[in-house]
Amino acid sequence: MKSLDPRVERLPIPAAVGAPSPLDQFGTFEVFVQPKEGKPFQHEGAVHAPNLEMAFVLAKETFTRRFTCVSLYVVETDNVFVSAVTEGNQNVYDVLPDAKNGNGKEESFEIYHLLKRGKQPVHVGTVQATDAARAMLRARERFNSGAVVFNVWAVRTSDIRFTSPDENDFWQTLPEKKFRDAGDYKGGDKLKEFLERSK
Amino acid sequence: MNTPALTELLFKMADDQLILGHRNSEWTGFGPLLEEDIAFSSMAQDKVGHSQALYELLHSLGQPAPDEVAFLRPAGQFHNCIFVELPNGEYDFSLIRHFLYDTAESIRFELLRKSSFEPLAQLAHKIHGELRYHTLHANTWIKQLGTATEESISRLQHSLAFALPYALGIFERSPFEKELAADGIFEGEDVLQERWRAKVEEVISQTDLTLPAWNTIAPVLGGRQGKHSEHLTPLLDEMGEVFRIDPTASW
Repeated sequence: MKSLDPRVERLPIPAAVGAPSPLDQFGTFEVFVQPKEGKPFQHEGAVHAPNLEMAFVLAKETFTRRFTCVSLYVVETDNVFVSAVTEGNQNVYDVLPDAKNGNGKEESFEIYHLLKRGKQPVHVGTVQATDAARAMLRARERFNSGAVVFNVWAVRTSDIRFTSPDENDFWQTLPEKKFRDAGDYKGGDKLKEFLERSK
Repeated sequence: MNTPALTELLFKMADDQLILGHRNSEWTGFGPLLEEDIAFSSMAQDKVGHSQALYELLHSLGQPAPDEVAFLRPAGQFHNCIFVELPNGEYDFSLIRHFLYDTAESIRFELLRKSSFEPLAQLAHKIHGELRYHTLHANTWIKQLGTATEESISRLQHSLAFALPYALGIFERSPFEKELAADGIFEGEDVLQERWRAKVEEVISQTDLTLPAWNTIAPVLGGRQGKHSEHLTPLLDEMGEVFRIDPTASW
């Protein structure tokens, strides 16, 4: 009998998948933010943009308009190499596939770890390798120290649009910009008072 | 310190920032893409913030409080150039205005970093990073759209031709040019305009856009003396609408 459950009987799917149609929107770029001097860069999210430079310009207000920031960088999503994400307490470094030594020249890769599910990958350091797979294996030698890593990212340093030194004062006035966040409304005392009175 | 000269300078700068900040904020929620909507709104907010800082300086020179000068003056007492009060129209015009105006603004504050009026020099230092971002944003968009498609190039070219006569109105000479320069407060509109032209030429030359010869453009003047287009009064009415319900209310 034919099931009426749409999860069982999928909508007709064409047998052959043709070439993907060109995007009808901008591609995406990943944004990394350094919240304070001395703190590591951390992945914050993505922006849509026509190119790397526009992504940098748009990321600045999209992700660092509030709170604190001292530096920011962006990289095209296609240039972020992502390992598998493990289940349970499995360390992703224990299941990385082997990779043969590449023949090419060694390049610099930035390495990021996901240490807590639901959080964002955080920068842990830089390694030299011929490709992203080798970079992750190098990272295993250098940064696999105890905590369970659920996911590793590797980004070729030369693919990144960094904040240049003369752009460092972009965020100089940020601490002075006060926004009315929900946490600013101290309703607790009033609520307590109300509850007391209505007893 | 020559207070009338300084007051004139601060008023025109503050009014420019307030009016353009308000105009640009009209794009909030209507920007061409989410990220750009946020960026443009945020920069509009920066501009209003700059106007507030300048009105504070005026307050310290004996003018009424910032809210009063911002919300209670009639159009004839505003000293902004006509350029900043023009309605938004299409986004290409707003981008061109953002580029032409912010280039001038950032050079003006660059010159003011060595102003003999210390509080103004300090303000110029403080907001340097914001202005640097504003010009990076403007230049990047102009270079992007100025080289992208036939439509984007022709739209920008059209807006540029429309905007340039108004943009030259930014540099309408003050009656105090000599005093401002002699006292070391500000080098003057002519110096500013010369440096602005060079920067505009530099950015436009990296695109498929063309600039007409400067001497063929007739500046639209009058704004600095309180002579405005019909577009300023409706803007002021809307901007001050809530404040004027009860000017004594505390917010």
